[in-house]
Amino acid sequence: MWANNLRIIGVVLGTLALYTLIANKIPQVQSEVPRALSLGANFTPEQLVAAGDQLYHGAGGCTACHGLGTRAPNLLTDEKGQGQIGARCGKRESGKDCKAYLYESLTSPRAYVVQGYEPIMPEMGRILSPQQLWALVAFLESNGGTVDVTASDIPASSTTSTTSTTSTASAGIAGGSTDPMTIIRGAGCTGCHKISGEGGAIGPELTHVGSRLSANLIRESILQPDAKIAKGYEKFKGIMPKTFGHQLTAEQLEALVQFLAAHK
Amino acid sequence: MTEHLLLQAVADTANAYRDFPVIGSRAAIWIAAEIHLMFAAFVLGVPIFAVVAEAIGIFGKDQRYDRLSKEFTRLLLIAYSATAIWGAVFVFLLSTLYPKFWAYLTAIFGVSMWVYVSIFFFESFTLYLYYYGWDRWKYGRAKIVHWCLGILLNIWGTIVMFIADSWLTYMMTPPRDITPETSPTSIKLWHAILNHTWMPINIHRLIGNVVFGGAIVGAYASYRFLAARTEEERAHYDWMGYVGNFIAISALIVLPFAGYWLGREIYQYDQSMGITMMGGFMSWLWVIQAFLIAVLFLTGNYYLWIGMGRIPGAERYRPYTKWLLVVLVIGALVWGTPHTMIADSRELVAMGGSHHPLLGALGVMSAKNTAVNLMILATFLSFLLYRRANIRPVVPWAKTGTRIQAAMFVIAAAIVLFFGIRGYFVEAIVRIGYSVYQVGAVLACIVFVTLIDVLMARGAQSLGAIQWGKMPPRSQYALFILAVTFTWLMGLMGFARSGIRQHWHVWQVMQDTSPYAATPALGYAAIMISTCVLIFLSLVAFIFWLGGLAEKSTFVPSTVEAPHVGQ
Repeated sequence: MWANNLRIIGVVLGTLALYTLIANKIPQVQSEVPRALSLGANFTPEQLVAAGDQLYHGAGGCTACHGLGTRAPNLLTDEKGQGQIGARCGKRESGKDCKAYLYESLTSPRAYVVQGYEPIMPEMGRILSPQQLWALVAFLESNGGTVDVTASDIPASSTTSTTSTTSTASAGIAGGSTDPMTIIRGAGCTGCHKISGEGGAIGPELTHVGSRLSANLIRESILQPDAKIAKGYEKFKGIMPKTFGHQLTAEQLEALVQFLAAHK
Repeated sequence: MTEHLLLQAVADTANAYRDFPVIGSRAAIWIAAEIHLMFAAFVLGVPIFAVVAEAIGIFGKDQRYDRLSKEFTRLLLIAYSATAIWGAVFVFLLSTLYPKFWAYLTAIFGVSMWVYVSIFFFESFTLYLYYYGWDRWKYGRAKIVHWCLGILLNIWGTIVMFIADSWLTYMMTPPRDITPETSPTSIKLWHAILNHTWMPINIHRLIGNVVFGGAIVGAYASYRFLAARTEEERAHYDWMGYVGNFIAISALIVLPFAGYWLGREIYQYDQSMGITMMGGFMSWLWVIQAFLIAVLFLTGNYYLWIGMGRIPGAERYRPYTKWLLVVLVIGALVWGTPHTMIADSRELVAMGGSHHPLLGALGVMSAKNTAVNLMILATFLSFLLYRRANIRPVVPWAKTGTRIQAAMFVIAAAIVLFFGIRGYFVEAIVRIGYSVYQVGAVLACIVFVTLIDVLMARGAQSLGAIQWGKMPPRSQYALFILAVTFTWLMGLMGFARSGIRQHWHVWQVMQDTSPYAATPALGYAAIMISTCVLIFLSLVAFIFWLGGLAEKSTFVPSTVEAPHVGQ
C-alpha cells in the first residue's frame, strides 16, 4: 500500500520536476513595464533620443517586428536601398515632413502601411504616453536624419513635471551617483550587457572586459560605440546609444571606465 | 495645481495596492486563482460525462455506467466545497490586495456577480438533489427526471463559467471604444461581456474541462486500481481508468481547433497581442506546450497499446504500433521545433540568422499543422485498433468497409501533407486558410471511419472478453503522468492567456502600476505552476481518500463481457 503511494508520489513529483527544469533551462525573457518618462522644459534632443532608444529596444516592443526583415520594415538599417528611417521618412508622404509622418505612423499605423507588409502594428498612442511617442520619433529621426523634435511639439502639461530628465542629465545618470554598478544599472547597460551574472546577452559580456580592452578603448566604446564593433556583434552595429557622452558626468564616466578596466 | 495632482496620483497608487507577506501579492493571487480554476474545471468537466455515463446506463441498459456516474458524482460533492473555498480565498485576496482594480471590475460587472452567486447556489442544490436522489429515483420515469437533474446541473455550471469568463476576457480584450478615460459606471454590462474572446474562451474551457475531468477521473481510477485487493475491484477500476482516458483523449483531439479559434480572435482584436503571444517574449512557451502535448499523445497511446495486451485478438494489430510510434515521435519533434524566437546575438550568430537554416523550415505553421494533424490521425487509428481488437466483423461488406476506411486514412493524410507542403509556396494569408482544409480532412476521416466501424461491428463475432484488470501497474502510472501533464498544461496556458496582457490589468485601459506589474519569465512561471499543481493534486488526493471513506464502491464481475466505449 505505502509502496504504491510512494511510487505515485515519485511519479507526480518527478513529472513536475522535469517540466519545471525544462522551463528553467530555456532562455528566460521577462516582459518589462515601460518606465514613465517626464521631461523638463529644457530637455535636449540627445536626452530625447536616449529615452527613445531605450523605449525602442525595450518596453516599446518595437524590435519584436522591426529589424527581423519579415514582419515589418527595417528602421535602423537599410530598407530596400532607401536607407535608414531618418533618411527616408520625409519622402514617404508628400507634404508631410519626417516628424509629422513618424508621429502619425505611431499613432495611426494603419494609415501608412508600407507596401509588402501586413497592417499588424498596434496604435502606439494606446500604449505609450505623448512624451514617450515623441522620444521615439526623435530616436527614429536620429537614425540617418536630423532630430527636429522640440519642446513645442510636446504637450505643455507633459513638460512641467517635477521630475525631469533635465535635472537627471545635469546631475548625470542615476542621480549623479559615482558607484559604477549604480551607473550601469541606471544607464540601462544590463539591458544588453551581462556583468557578473547580471544582465542580458545582446551585447558583449563585460565581466572580463578589462582583459581584452584598455581603459582608453573602453572609454571610446562608451562615447562612440560604433567606432569599433566587437567581433561577432557586427550585426548589432547602431544599437548602442551614442548619447552617454551627454548623459554621464565626467566623474561618472571615469568611475565607470576604471571600474570596467579593472574587470579582468 | 500640478503638485496637487501629482500628490493625488501618488495617493491613488498607494491605495491601489497592498502587499502580501513573504510571497507577494502577485504570487498569492496566482495561487488562489489557479487552484480555484483547477477545481472549477474538475467540477464543471466531471458532471458532463457523469450525465453522459448515466444516459448510457439508462438507454444502453448497462448498470455499470450508472454506478460509474454515481461514483463520479460522489467525488463532486467534496470538490464543490473546495471550489467554493478557493473562490472565496481568491475574491478576498483580490479585493484586499488590488482594491482599486477590484472596484473597477465591480463597477462594470457587479450585477453579473450577483447573478453568478445566485446560480452557484442553484447549482449546488441541484447537485445535492442529483446525488442524494440517486437511489430514490432509480427506476422508470423517476430515473429520467433524475437524469434531467444532471442536465440541469450542467446548464447551471455552464452559465456560471460563462459569467466568470466574461470578467477575465474583458481584462484581455475590452471593447475598442473603451479607453482609460471611460468611466466604468458608464460601460454597459452586455457590451463588456460580448468582447472578442468571450465565446472562444467559453468553448475552449468547456472542452478543456471535459479533458481535465477525464484525466483526473483516470488518475482516481488508477489509484484505486493500484490499491485494489480483489480481482473485481481491479477490473472495475481498470475499466473506469480506460473510460476516463478515453474521454480525456477524445476531447483533447478537438481542443486544438477551439484553440485556433481563440488565437485567431486574439490576432483579430490586436495583432501586437498575438505577436507577443506567438513571437514575442512568450514564444518559448509554445515549445514547452508542444513538449507537454507530445507527452500527452505518447502517454495516451502507450496506455492504449498496453491495454491491447488484455484483449484477445489484439495481437493482430501489434505490428502496427511501432509505425504509429514513429509518426507520433516525428510529429512531436516537428511540432516542438522553434521558429521565430527571441534570441540573443550569440544564438543569432550560431544560427546564421534569425531562423535556423534547416530547422527553421520545420518551425513554420505549415509543418506544425501537418505534424499535429498526422498525430491526431495516428491517435485515432490507435483507438480504432483498440476498438476492433476483440471482434471479427461478419457483415458481408466487411472487407470492402475496411478498405474504404484505409483509403479514408490515406486520403486524409495525403490532403494534410499536400496542403502542408503547398503552404511553403504561397502567401501567409493563403497559407492560414490551408489549415481549415487540413483540419476538415482529419475531422471528416474521424467521423466517416467511425460511422463505418459502428455499422461494421453489428453482430460481430467476439474473439473473447476483455480481461479487465489484467493490466500491468506501469499502465496506471501512465494515467498519473497524463493527469499531472494535463493539469500542468492548464496552468501553462492560463499563464499565456493572462500574461499576454503584460503590464495591464485591463489591456490598454487600466495599467498595472504595482511592484509586480512586469510579466515574469517562463522559469518563474513554471515554479508557480508546479506549486499550484502540487497543492491541487494534494487536495484532490485528500478528497479521493475522503470519497473512499464515505462509501464502498460497487463492482461488476470481470467475467461480464464489456462493450467498448462508443458501442
